[in-house]
Amino acid sequence: MTLPPLALYIHIPWCVRKCPYCDFNSHNAPDALPQREYVEALLADLDRDLPLAQGRPLRSIFFGGGTPSLFSPDSIARILDGANARLAFAPGIEVTMETNPGTVEHGDFAAYRRAGVNRLSFGVQSFDDAALKRIGRIHDAQQAERAIKRAQDDGLNNLNLDLMYALPQQTLDGALADIDKALAFDTPHLSHYQLTLEPNTQFAANPPPLPDEDSAWDMQEACQARIAAAGFGHYEVSAYARAGGESAHNLNYWHFGDYLGIGAGAHGKYSSIDESGALQVWRRWKVRAPRGYLEHAKSERVIGGDDPVAVEQLPFEFMLNGLRLTGGIPLTDFHATTGLGSDAIRPQVEEALRRGWLAPQSDRLQPTESGQRFLNDLITLFLPEKGGET
Amino acid sequence: MELIRNFSIIAHVDHGKSTLADRIIQLCGGLEAREMEAQVLDSNPIERERGITIKAQSVSLPYTARDGKTYQFNFIDTPGHVDFSYEVSRSLSACEGALLVVDAAQGVEAQSVANCYTAVELGLEVVPVLNKIDLPTADIDKVKEEIEAVIGIDATDAVAISAKTGLNVVEVLEAIVARIPPPKPRDTDRLQALIIDSWFDNYLGVVSLVRVMQGEIKPRDKLLVMSTGRAHEVDSVGVFTPKRLAKDALRAGEVGWVTASIKDVHGAPVGDTLTLANKPAEKPLPGFQQMQPRVFAGLFPVSADDYPALREALEKLKLNDAALVFEPESSEAMGFGFRCGFLGLLHMEIIQERLEREYDLNLITTAPTVVYEILRTDGTVAPLDNPAKMPAVNYIEEIREPIIVANILTPPEHIGSVIKLCEEKRGVQRSINYMASQVQISYELPLAEVVLDFFDKLKSVSRGYASMEYHLERFQAAPLVRVDVLVNGDRVDALSLILHRSNADRRGRELVEKMKELIPRQQFDVAIQAAIGAQIIARSSVKALRKNVLAKCYGGDATRKRKLLEKQKEGKKRMKQVGNVDIPQEAFLAVLQMDK
Repeated sequence: MTLPPLALYIHIPWCVRKCPYCDFNSHNAPDALPQREYVEALLADLDRDLPLAQGRPLRSIFFGGGTPSLFSPDSIARILDGANARLAFAPGIEVTMETNPGTVEHGDFAAYRRAGVNRLSFGVQSFDDAALKRIGRIHDAQQAERAIKRAQDDGLNNLNLDLMYALPQQTLDGALADIDKALAFDTPHLSHYQLTLEPNTQFAANPPPLPDEDSAWDMQEACQARIAAAGFGHYEVSAYARAGGESAHNLNYWHFGDYLGIGAGAHGKYSSIDESGALQVWRRWKVRAPRGYLEHAKSERVIGGDDPVAVEQLPFEFMLNGLRLTGGIPLTDFHATTGLGSDAIRPQVEEALRRGWLAPQSDRLQPTESGQRFLNDLITLFLPEKGGET
Repeated sequence: MELIRNFSIIAHVDHGKSTLADRIIQLCGGLEAREMEAQVLDSNPIERERGITIKAQSVSLPYTARDGKTYQFNFIDTPGHVDFSYEVSRSLSACEGALLVVDAAQGVEAQSVANCYTAVELGLEVVPVLNKIDLPTADIDKVKEEIEAVIGIDATDAVAISAKTGLNVVEVLEAIVARIPPPKPRDTDRLQALIIDSWFDNYLGVVSLVRVMQGEIKPRDKLLVMSTGRAHEVDSVGVFTPKRLAKDALRAGEVGWVTASIKDVHGAPVGDTLTLANKPAEKPLPGFQQMQPRVFAGLFPVSADDYPALREALEKLKLNDAALVFEPESSEAMGFGFRCGFLGLLHMEIIQERLEREYDLNLITTAPTVVYEILRTDGTVAPLDNPAKMPAVNYIEEIREPIIVANILTPPEHIGSVIKLCEEKRGVQRSINYMASQVQISYELPLAEVVLDFFDKLKSVSRGYASMEYHLERFQAAPLVRVDVLVNGDRVDALSLILHRSNADRRGRELVEKMKELIPRQQFDVAIQAAIGAQIIARSSVKALRKNVLAKCYGGDATRKRKLLEKQKEGKKRMKQVGNVDIPQEAFLAVLQMDK
C-alpha cells in the first residue's frame, strides 16, 4: 500500500462580520487581530502534525476561513515560509487564499503573490447589491468588481469566483445576470452554490423567504447551461472550470486524499499503514474557539480529537466525496484510499446500478444524471446499517 | 360489615376526581406526604399524560369518623372515558354508593349523567360533591339546580369543597360514613365475588381486583371462574393501601386483590363472578358481558422484519387488555400485519402509542373502521370489519351500518351548532329537552360518523362545554360504497374506506388532497386517485422532487454530513414503501385529519 497525496488546509477563523447563513467556524474579528500569535500558533500546530506527512510533499495549500484576506501579506508569507521550512512543496503546488471583497479591494495582491499565493477564491456571492444586503454581506457589487480587477491587474489570474443562487427574493433573471457578470471576468473557475439553511445559523433560526424548490431548480438548470455555454466543464456538484482550471486542493478532498488541517477548528484526514501493511484512515481536528486555540497551540491540548475512522464507515466517507465528481472516480482510488476491495461495496453498487444512479462501468464509479440529482440518496446507500460513532 | 363503606367517584375528566382521591387518601393516612406522587391512582404514564384513567384501581383506607368509630373505606376508581363505559358499570356494581363530583364552575356533563344513571339503576346512593368552589366563577346554587333537573337526585345536601385547597374535604368523608350504606348481609355464604378489573403482573400473573358479595376468599381456596368454568388455586389475597398488603382472607363486603396463577386477563374477565369450586354459588352475578370491539384497524410493521415482534407485543398487551382483539391480516400493499379491534379511537391510540413507546415498534395504522353487516344475495349475513374484504357489489344485497343513540348535554347557546354538527354527520333527532341551564339532545347517529372525530368537533363547536355518552342501538341498511385509493394507478388495499354515497365524492376529494400534503415529494410524480369501483371520483398529484444534494462538501467534518444523511434515512425508514412510493405513517390516517 502507498499513502495518498497530501494537502494542507489552514484556517483563519475571523471575519469582519459573520454572515447569517454561514455555519463555518468564523468569529467576528476583534479590533486588533492577533496575527503574530496566530501565525506562531499555526506553525506550532503544524510541527505537531508533521509526522503524519510521512515524507510526502504538499500538492496544495488552502487558506480558508473566516476571511484569510484579513491577514496581511506579511503574515501569509510567514506562514508559507514556515510551512516550506517544514515540508517539501511539490512542483507546481497550488496555493489558494479565500478572499472577501470589502476587506481587500485596495489591498496589495502583488504582495500576496510574492508571499507565495498563486490562486484566489473570491466570496462574491452575487453582483446584485440588494441581494447582497439580504444575505448580510458587508460588500457591494462595485467593491467585488474592483477587487477582482485589481487582482487580475496584479497578475493573479488563477481566480475562482463564488456565487450563490436561490437567494431571498431572487428571480431566474437575477440569477442569470449574476452568471453573466461573473463570466465577464474570464476566470478559469466558478463555484455556484444553492443557498441552504444550515442548522445553528441566524438564517436557520429566522428563515428568510427563499425561492421554492422548483424555482431553485429552474435557476440551477438555466445557470448550469449558461456556464457550460461559456466553455466551462461542470466537474463537481457546485464547481465549474475551464480545462486545466480545476481546483487541485478541492480535487484532493473529492479523491479522498490526505490533508493536514491546522488552525482553529481545522479538520485533517490522514492515512497510516501498520506493520501488517493494512491501511488505517484517521481524522484529527483542532480546538474550535480562537481563544482556546491560541491558548493551547503549544501543547497537545490543541488537538480536539484524533480518531480512527471505523472500517465500515469508509465506503460512505469515500462516496460522500468521490461521487460529487460528475466524471466519477476510478475504482482503483477506492482501493488505494480505503484499503478495501470491491466486495465491501458490491451490494450497494448493484443497488445503485439497479436504480440508475451509477453508470454501468467496471473500472469507475460514475453517477448518472439522476445519480447526480439525487446524490444524497445515492451515497446514503453506503451508510452502514447501524451508524456507529467514530 | 357495618363499618365498611364501598364507593366510587363519578366525575368528568377534568372536574377534579384525581385531586379529590389524593386528598381522601391523604386524610386517611394512606400514604406519607412524601410518598404522595401527584394523582397516585392514575398509574400508567400514558394515562397520566392524557389525564384519563383506563384501568380501575382501588384503595382501602381506615377512617376514624366523628362518631369515634374507625371505618374501612374501599374507594374504587373508575375509568373516565366514554370508550370504557362497561368497566365503569362493573366498578359501580361493586359499590353501595358513589360520589358525584361536579365542577361548580362548569356544571354537569353528559358522561357523568350516564354514569350517574347507571349508579342509580344499580341501587347506589349518590352523594353530590361540588368541587372547585374556590374558583371565582363557581356558582353553587346554579349547579345544584342543574344536578336536580338533569340527573334527578336531591342536591340539597351536596357537599361544597375545594379538593385543591383541601377545603371541606373532611365533610366528604363524614358524608360517606353517614349517607352511603354498609354492604347488605346475604343469606348464604357461598362465595360470589365480582371481578372489577384484572391486570397482568410480570411476577404474579393476573391480579384481579374483586368485590366479595358473599362468602370469603382465602389462600389455597380452589376458585372457579364462572364464565370459563376453569378452577385456579388462590395464591394470595389482600388489599391496596394503596400499597399491596397481603391478608389472611377477603370477607363479604370487602374489596381487594386476588392472585391465582392465572396466565392472562382472559382467564379472569372483568365483570365475571368468582366462586369456590367445591361449593359453588348457584348462579353468577348479573351483568357480565364479553367485551365487544367497536372499531377495527390494521396494524402493520413498517419493516417486515418486525412482524414477529409486533405479534409478541400484541400478545403481551392482550394479557392485560380484555378488549383488545387481533388476528393476522395480509395486505397486498402492506404485507403482513394484524387486524385489531378496539373499544374506540382512544383505545386504539393508546395501544398504538404503547406499541411504539414500550415495544419500540415502527408501525403503520390504517384508517379505523366500524363493523358493518353485509347481507349477501344468498341471504347470509356476515360482519365486515375490513373494507378491503368487502365482497363484490353483485354479491351484496345490502350493507348495514351500526347506529348509536347519542345523548348530548350542552349549554343552550351552543345548541344551534351542536344540531348542525349532528345533521352533518347524518344524524336523526330523537328528542330535545330543556333542563335548568342545560339542554339534552338525543340523536341517532351512524357509529362510523362518530368514531373518527365527533368528540373533538363537539367540543370545538361548543367551546368545550358540550358532552356526550352513547350506546349502540341497531344495524340499519344504508347506501354505503367502498372508496379505494390508487397510488400511481395501483389500488392500495389498506387505504380503502367505506363511506356513505351522499358524501363519498366530497370525502374522496378531501382525502386525496390531504394525502397530497402528507406524501413527500419523491424522485417521480406520484398520482393519487380516489375511486368507487372503476369510476375515479378525485385525483391529485405530488410533483417529483428535483434534486437531493448537499451544496457543499470539502473534507472537513464528515460526521455532520453523515448525521444529516442518517436523519434523512431514518425518516425514510419510518415510511412504508408501497410499490416504489414512500408513504409516511400519517398518510394512512389522513382520513382522521380531514377537515381539521
